[in-house]
Amino acid sequence: MRILMVGLDNSGKTTIVLKINGEDTSVINPTLGFNIKTINYQKYILNIWDVGGQKTIRSYWRNYFEQTDGLVWVVDSSDLRRLDDCKHELDNLLKEERLSGASLLIFANKQDIQGALSPEEIAKVLNLDAMDKTRHWRIVGCSAYTGEGLLEGFDWLVQDIASRIYMLD
Amino acid sequence: MEENVFGTNDPNPRTTATATADNTTVDPTLQRKNAAMLERLSNRHQSRLAGKSDPDSTNLNAPPSFESTESFLSKFSQSKVSIESCLSQLHQQQENRIPGSDSNRKTDMEKISLSISDLEKFVAENSYFLPSYEVRTCLKTIADLKQSLDDVTSLVIPKKKFSFKNKPSKKPTNPVQEDTVSEKNLNVGSSDLGFKHLIMSPGFRDKEKEVLVKEFDKSDTQGQNGEFTLSGLRDCEVRLKGCLRALFMDRLTNCRIYVGAVMGSVLIEGAEGCVFILASHQIRIHNAKNCDFYLRVRSRPIIEDCNGVKFAPYCLNYERIEKDLEEANLGEETANWANVDDFRWLRAVQSPNWSILPNNERIQTVDISIS
Repeated sequence: MRILMVGLDNSGKTTIVLKINGEDTSVINPTLGFNIKTINYQKYILNIWDVGGQKTIRSYWRNYFEQTDGLVWVVDSSDLRRLDDCKHELDNLLKEERLSGASLLIFANKQDIQGALSPEEIAKVLNLDAMDKTRHWRIVGCSAYTGEGLLEGFDWLVQDIASRIYMLD
Repeated sequence: MEENVFGTNDPNPRTTATATADNTTVDPTLQRKNAAMLERLSNRHQSRLAGKSDPDSTNLNAPPSFESTESFLSKFSQSKVSIESCLSQLHQQQENRIPGSDSNRKTDMEKISLSISDLEKFVAENSYFLPSYEVRTCLKTIADLKQSLDDVTSLVIPKKKFSFKNKPSKKPTNPVQEDTVSEKNLNVGSSDLGFKHLIMSPGFRDKEKEVLVKEFDKSDTQGQNGEFTLSGLRDCEVRLKGCLRALFMDRLTNCRIYVGAVMGSVLIEGAEGCVFILASHQIRIHNAKNCDFYLRVRSRPIIEDCNGVKFAPYCLNYERIEKDLEEANLGEETANWANVDDFRWLRAVQSPNWSILPNNERIQTVDISIS
């Protein structure tokens, strides 16, 4: 399964990938370019593409769209000031035809930080209810710092992708 | 699946267009259809391999067999002219109040919007062989087109533009302090989301010529586990002692920012003529001009859209600072303060946007023990 991780810079994409793979998260450089991680998850093999979120390199996200089964959009729930930026980038992404069949998991990250918005509030700000009805999506609160919520999110994503693949077979 | 239109298992071939001429036998028809399907599948496969989208979705997306800047530019300007003429037509219709159904105009605008994104895709797909100047110019053109479309859109449907904001139903469970100046520091375009009135994170905002001091200790939940914001400050000195989880800064001018230990990340957007002394796990600096950074950081600091920024090692002191740094895993010097990545300068040679602050220009250790 091919999973694409995107979101604004500083949202915690790389930390999530390392944490879920049980790696050390104490030193993480901001991603200049991308990282690919292959993880055995349940009975599936996940190819996770973790793409840098800095403004300069967001225009390169499109190079990773092809054949994406699952899309993970990561939000820094404590960065209130840039939530409109976040909404704008997500809206753009969802217009992309090549991602139209991909299941969408939204991680409302940094829930451990005092003052972070709850997943429900993030869903409201991002206006997720207005999304195309054919899209399979879910929002999950998480903390890449403590690991909370990560498995719940990935469990859903993997199950959703798997059920779609079986239907096609 | 699109391929199904070729209906390999169609029980009645006469109903399909390709079969009508053939009355004698079914087999050649089926064979022909089969061949057509195989060819189409293989075409799709090829285009997939080449990382291109479906070749017949629009002509802009056709595989760029040319790889020539000239033919790219001519194709680009053709599309640009056609989009512009659609836009000006719409604009005139609106100005002259020519009657026409709103839904028609809406479809028109959606079409234009689609053409613009196609154009954007076109640039992206061909950017690998284009000179970077052309790429930038094209992207600028696209941004302008989007702006014009936005302008026309707001003319045609002014009221519907931000209809999603009308739901300020539930209040946050823990009321955060109401700041009378909070309205002012909302960024352009953010007020339409209608949530920032409700939630304001702790911080110093919109101050001038002040010394702002904040001490975070264990009992202080907003410190140890929380974030802090510095926004819209001018000619201020800020002293943050203790540990905090995340620090956001934006629009700082001629300020001195002294910070103890940040256990997570620091994000700076927009600073000019400032001095920062910071210790944190990650630091991202956007749009800073002529600032000095004295850093201790566990990962490589990054800059984006900066110039005249200089870096030196951390040099702050106050009572118990060692303990705070230790607790935040920042006890050791990592020498990362000099390993700056410039996202606007992805080349092997040194970026012109940042430099190491020469020894003789560095300030002495700043002591903020007494506040």
